[in-house]
Amino acid sequence: MTDLVLENIGKTYPNGYQAIPSIDLSIEEGEFIVLVGPSGCGKSTLLRMVAGLETITQGDLLIKGNRVNDKEPADRDIAMVFQNYALYPHMTVRANMEYGLKNRGVSKQERHNKVMDVAAMLGLDELLERRPGQLSGGQRQRVAMGRAMVRDPKVFLFDEPLSNLDAKLRVQMRVEIRQLQRKLATTTLYVTHDQVEAMTLADRLVVLNKGKAEQIGTPMELYDKPATTFVAEFIGSPSMNLLDGMLTERGIALSDRLALPMAHDYRGAIKWGIRPEHLQQSDAVNGDFSLQVQAVESLGAETLIHGVLEDGAEQPNPIVVRLSGPHLPDIGSRMWLTAPLQHWHLFDAITQQRL
Amino acid sequence: MIENRPWLRFFSHLILVVGVFLVALPVWVALVGSTQPEGSFNSGSIPMWFGDQGVQNWAHVLFAEAGSTLQIPVWHLLLNSLVMALGITLGKIAISIVSAYAIVFFRFPFRGVIFWIIFITLMLPVEVRIVPTYQVIANLDMLNSYSGLILPLIASATATFLFRQCFMSIPGELVEAARIDGAGPIRFFFDILLPMSRTNIAALFVIMFIYGWNQYLWPLIITTDDTYYTLVMSIKSMLSVPDGDIQWNYVMVTTLLAMLPPVAVVVGMQKLFVKGLVDAEK
Ligand SMILES: Nc1ncnc2c1ncn2[C@@H]1O[C@H](COP(=O)(O)OP(=O)(O)OP(=O)(O)O)[C@@H](O)[C@H]1O
Ligand SMILES: [Mg+2]
Repeated sequence: MTDLVLENIGKTYPNGYQAIPSIDLSIEEGEFIVLVGPSGCGKSTLLRMVAGLETITQGDLLIKGNRVNDKEPADRDIAMVFQNYALYPHMTVRANMEYGLKNRGVSKQERHNKVMDVAAMLGLDELLERRPGQLSGGQRQRVAMGRAMVRDPKVFLFDEPLSNLDAKLRVQMRVEIRQLQRKLATTTLYVTHDQVEAMTLADRLVVLNKGKAEQIGTPMELYDKPATTFVAEFIGSPSMNLLDGMLTERGIALSDRLALPMAHDYRGAIKWGIRPEHLQQSDAVNGDFSLQVQAVESLGAETLIHGVLEDGAEQPNPIVVRLSGPHLPDIGSRMWLTAPLQHWHLFDAITQQRL
Repeated sequence: MIENRPWLRFFSHLILVVGVFLVALPVWVALVGSTQPEGSFNSGSIPMWFGDQGVQNWAHVLFAEAGSTLQIPVWHLLLNSLVMALGITLGKIAISIVSAYAIVFFRFPFRGVIFWIIFITLMLPVEVRIVPTYQVIANLDMLNSYSGLILPLIASATATFLFRQCFMSIPGELVEAARIDGAGPIRFFFDILLPMSRTNIAALFVIMFIYGWNQYLWPLIITTDDTYYTLVMSIKSMLSVPDGDIQWNYVMVTTLLAMLPPVAVVVGMQKLFVKGLVDAEK
């Protein structure tokens, strides 16, 4: 059953700035939805509207079939984890976790049981009598999650909850959040600008661009079939190589001298895309085109090669290639590459939509 | 700055010793004077060592009468002062914390204007508005009463401003977390805001208590009945004897008694006070 429905939701701030023109999204029970996008695209705005911290200026928000547009955050049955945790500094961990229950009039015994359950799940038993000031960043993060979990809400909301942790802890917490969410099966809306986090956590991803949902789908759908050039560049790291070209009866003309044969009905200006990991090294006989190597990044398990396409155009076209294992081509040398047809992505040059 | 130059050390210690001496000498004179027999100041020299009348003097002043023109014992004046000082302090804190709460956390029309009006009253201390205030208090029939002593002094722009700054430094996320946790305005105030501004309240308490305790002009003007006299203003009236000698030994006892409560408050709340000024956690 659908748990959370956003119908034509929009937000115009009092100063007249339209942060979100219109978004439609319906979320199944227990689904993990991640909102990604560059800074300022309206992720937090959308999340805060669901939370009830920001007024909804257009459309309807339904939680379990009830319209909650005008309900106070506390009456929406949601729980939120903030970027800076927002723990009450003068309360112990236990009091922090209990506070929401206390305000709802839950009995002392029941509160105690719930806190103990959640504390056990998150490994917070030892820390219950401490204050937030006496905890490490990772522990605070856990307490913030615990505070959300004791309430047993219908929807969890996370606003970049891991961005204040160091890289290692972030990976660890990411895995943990995913496991907990599976176990609790609570519908979750999660905001991040980290696309690795987005890909690994999400059942479905919503890519936002300037307040518009560019594409909604599973991580693999977005990776395999990005609907727009924006999604193509945003999902995947390093991002997809995108080159301007013309579709003609001969195929895709990338420049006066370089054309890739292909049969397609479309005629006109396009963008041709291929991911760095799909380019393959080859020799001069079989290669589709060649690259002048400009920089090499060795990461051990893989090597990133940055170069420009040798296509005779005045405007140099930068290309990134991702090869597995160690490679050490000389800077300035020529490298031949093949681009397998099944990995091509074609976009309309004007509308930026996938062809 | 850690330097180890002998003459520098000597010099800084010298300054400190001179400072301590300057501050302590009058207190010493008062302490010694409070143990002298009647009339020992009138010989023209100031006694520098204890006399033998200490216990009698203190007992007389505290429980019998303050002497000179004052026929009531000093414990009564102490009580009056305490009521006034505590009344002013608590009143100031209560009013300013509530108004700061309204100004920072609620959106209502003319919010900014109201804040600036409060702020501008900083330019109007008691002395400036004393005549109209007297008129109001007189019309309300509050001359010679505790409420008359306290009420006109409890509005405080300074405290409102301090609480406003303190509240504005509370992160917005915290306020939002409380909203999601179902804390309404009243709960938020008592459960979150009040405990979080604990140290600020303590610092203000110290400052305002001393301010209230040292009030001189206002009590002098509105009290004519000596059951409402405060300690600080009475010292002056003990010095204005129409004829005969000033009873310096009694004056000294009263002076010392007037100094004790502020000292007690400062010493007792020192830790919180300093914390409130430097504002550690948050
Ligand atoms: N109170 C406000 N009034 C006017 N405009 C606002 C307000 N809050 C946010 N905005 C604007 O709305 C847009 C979206 O902001 P939002 O905070 O949702 O971005 P975000 O996607 O969360 O970015 P980030 O990744 O940096 O957190 C931004 O352009 C921002 O400037
Ligand atoms: Mg944000």
